[in-house]
Amino acid sequence: MGAIDFNKRAANLLVWLLLGTMPYWMTAIGGYVELGSRAVVLGLGAMSLNFLLGYTGVLSFGHAAYFGLGAYGAGMMIRYVAPSTGLAIATGILVGTVAAAIIGPLIIRLRGVYFAMVTIAFGQVFYFIAFRWNAVTGGDDGLTGWTRLPIDLGFTQIDILHNPIAFYYLVLVLFAVAVGIMAFLLRSPFGRTLLAIRENERRARFLGIPVDRHIWISWIISCGFVSLAGALYALLNNFVDPRALYWTQSGDFVIMAVLGGMRSFWGPLLGAAIFVVLQDYLSSQTENWMSFLGLFFVLIVLFFPRGVLGIIRRKVTP
Amino acid sequence: MSKDPISVPVKRRTILKAGLALGAMQVASPFVTKSLADEPVKIGLDNPATGTYAALGKNELIGCQLALEQINAKGGILGRKVELLVEDSTSGDAGTAVEKARKLIDRDQVNFLLGNINSALAAAMANVSYEKGVFHVVPGGHTDPITGANCHWNVFRVCNTTQMEANAVAGTLIKTAGKKWYYLTPDYAFGHTLQAGLEKAAAALGGTKVGGDLTPLGTTDFSSYLIKAQAANPDVIIFLQAGDDAVNALKQAVQFGLDKKFHLAGAQQELEVLIGLPPEARIGTWVFEWYWKQPNVAHVNDFVADIRKRSGGHVPTARTWFGYAATHTCALAAAAAKSLDAVKMAKAMQGFKLPPEVALMPDGAFYRAAQNQLIPDLYVGNAQAKGSDPEDLFNVTDVVKGITTAGTVEDTGCKMTWPA
Repeated sequence: MGAIDFNKRAANLLVWLLLGTMPYWMTAIGGYVELGSRAVVLGLGAMSLNFLLGYTGVLSFGHAAYFGLGAYGAGMMIRYVAPSTGLAIATGILVGTVAAAIIGPLIIRLRGVYFAMVTIAFGQVFYFIAFRWNAVTGGDDGLTGWTRLPIDLGFTQIDILHNPIAFYYLVLVLFAVAVGIMAFLLRSPFGRTLLAIRENERRARFLGIPVDRHIWISWIISCGFVSLAGALYALLNNFVDPRALYWTQSGDFVIMAVLGGMRSFWGPLLGAAIFVVLQDYLSSQTENWMSFLGLFFVLIVLFFPRGVLGIIRRKVTP
Repeated sequence: MSKDPISVPVKRRTILKAGLALGAMQVASPFVTKSLADEPVKIGLDNPATGTYAALGKNELIGCQLALEQINAKGGILGRKVELLVEDSTSGDAGTAVEKARKLIDRDQVNFLLGNINSALAAAMANVSYEKGVFHVVPGGHTDPITGANCHWNVFRVCNTTQMEANAVAGTLIKTAGKKWYYLTPDYAFGHTLQAGLEKAAAALGGTKVGGDLTPLGTTDFSSYLIKAQAANPDVIIFLQAGDDAVNALKQAVQFGLDKKFHLAGAQQELEVLIGLPPEARIGTWVFEWYWKQPNVAHVNDFVADIRKRSGGHVPTARTWFGYAATHTCALAAAAAKSLDAVKMAKAMQGFKLPPEVALMPDGAFYRAAQNQLIPDLYVGNAQAKGSDPEDLFNVTDVVKGITTAGTVEDTGCKMTWPA
C-alpha cells in the first residue's frame, strides 16, 4: 500500500513538473509552445469527459456541444459585449454549464447507447444553431473580428496575446484549478458514490442513493469543465467555428480518454497529448495520417483496454 | 534468484522492445530541429489534404510545386534556394489549421504563408499571420471579408471574391437569358451571401427576383422546389448548391426537362466539380476563375503541358493556377522589395501587375492597392457534357475583365492600417 501511495505521489509530481516546465523543453524537442497549450486545453476537455465516463460510467457523445458553447460564449463576449478575457472565460463556463443543467434532466434516465445517442442529438441541435444563425455566430465562416486581450491585474498587465508562454501559463493555472476541484470531488463521499454507481448501479439504488440526481450533478460538473476547456480553446485560436460543436469533436474527446486510459485520473491528459502530438506530426508526414491514428487507437483498444497509462501502471505496480 | 554480474539475463521481450523503441526513434528523428548555415527561404502551405476539399487542395499543391521548381531554376529568392513546407489543415477544423499556421511561423520560421481553400480556415489563418506579421497569400478562399471588412496589410488573395463572381455572371445572364430570376439556395451562410451578391448584381442591371427557395443542406429530393420554380415562370433558374446537393438538383432539373424550358445557371463553378458530375448534369451557365483552353494567350499551353507531366496527364484547373500564382507572388514580392521584410514586400505588391507567364490571362492580373485583392479576368460560359478533351467540360463564351466586377475599394469595406 505504501509503495502504491509513493508511486502515485511520484507520478503526480512528475506530471506537474513536466507541465510546469513545458515551454522550456518543448522547443528543444522540436515542438512549439502553442502545441503544448492545445494539448493541455484538449486534455482538460478529455479529463472532464472522463469524470463522467470513467468515474460515473456514463458515456456522453455530445460533449462537443458544451465545449463549443463555452467557445462561442467566450468569443461572443469579447466580440459583442465587453473586451475582457476574464469575463469571456466566465461567460463561456456559465453558458455551457447552464445549457447542461437544463438538458440534464431530459437525458439522465437513459443509459448506455441511448444516453450516448441522445447526447449526440442535443449536440447537433447546438451545431445547427451555430451553423445557421449567420448574423450572430458568423455561420459556417466562423466568428471572427476579435482576439483575446491582455489581462489587467491592476498593478501590471499580462500580455497573453503576443506572448504564447504567458498564455500557456494562464491555461495551466486554470487547468490546475479545474483538475484540483475534480480530484477533490472524486475523493469526497460524493465521488465515492459516483464510483459505486459505476460499479453497480442497481445496488447503489437499493442502498437508497438517488442515482439519477447524482448522474445529473456529475453531468453538470463534467460539462462545466468542458466548457472551460472550450472557452480556452476559443482564446487559443482567436476564432470559433461550428466545427467546435460538431459530433466528431465529441468523438475526439472519447478517443483521447480511451487512448490514455479512462480508469485513471491522468489518462485522458496523456491521451490528449498523444492525440495532439501524433496528429501534428503524422499529418506533416502523410495525408493518410488519420489511418495511422485510427490504427493506433484500434491496437490500444484491442490489446490494452486500459489505455496507454494502463500499460505503464501495470509495469510500475505488478 | 542470485544475480550474476557477468551474464545479466536479457529477456527476449526486452530485446524486442528495444528494437521497437529504436524503430520509433527513427520515425521521431525529424522532430529534432536542424540548423543550416545557409538557410533556404521557406514557404509554408497550410491547406486541406484530407476531407471535402482534398482534391482541390491537391491541385493547388501541384501548382505550388511547379512554381517552386521554376523559381529555383531561376536562382531562387534573392539568391537563396526556396523550400516548400506542406501541412494538412484538414478541410474544416479551424483549430488544426490555426495550430499548423503557428507551427509553420513559430517553429519552421517560414517567410511566407499560403492557404486556405476553406474560407473559414483562411480567415482564422489570416488572424494568425496578421498577429505575427507574416506575408500571407490566400490562394483559394472566396468569402468577401478576407479582402473586405477584415482585410489586413499582410494578407493577399489570388482567387476572386464571391461578389466579383456574382457580378461577372450576372452581366452575361441578363444579356443572354433574361431579367426574371428564380433562386434555389442552400440554407447556410455560403448560400445566403451568394444569393445576396447575385441579387445585388442583378438589381444593378435591371434584373428582378421572381421567387426563391432555401433548400436544407443534404436535400436529395428537389422535385417540390423544381415544380415551384417552374410555376413561377422565370427566365433563369439559379442553382447555388454545392457538392452532392448540386449533383442532385441539376440531375433532377434535367429529368424534369427544365433545361429545355428555362435557362439554368449558377455562380462559381469548378472543373473538379464538373468532372465529378454525370454528363447529363453538366449544364448551365457559370463562371470559372481560370480555364486551361486559352489558345490565343501566350504561355498557357506551356503551363498546361508542364502540369500534365506532373499530374498524371490531367489538365490544370483554376485551383492549380491559384497555387501557381500564389507561390510566384511570394517570389515576385521579395524580388520587387529586394528584401524578405514582410512590410516592405507588402508595400511593393500594392498595384503590382503579374507578369504574363504567371497571369496566364488575356488582360493580365494585378493586386489592387489598399485591398490586396488580385483583379484577374473571369470566364463566363456553359458547362458541356463532352468536349474535344475528356476534361474540356466548359465552353467559355465571355471573358469579363475583373475590374468591371470588383467595385471600388470603398465598396468592399476594406480599411487597411499599416504597422508604424
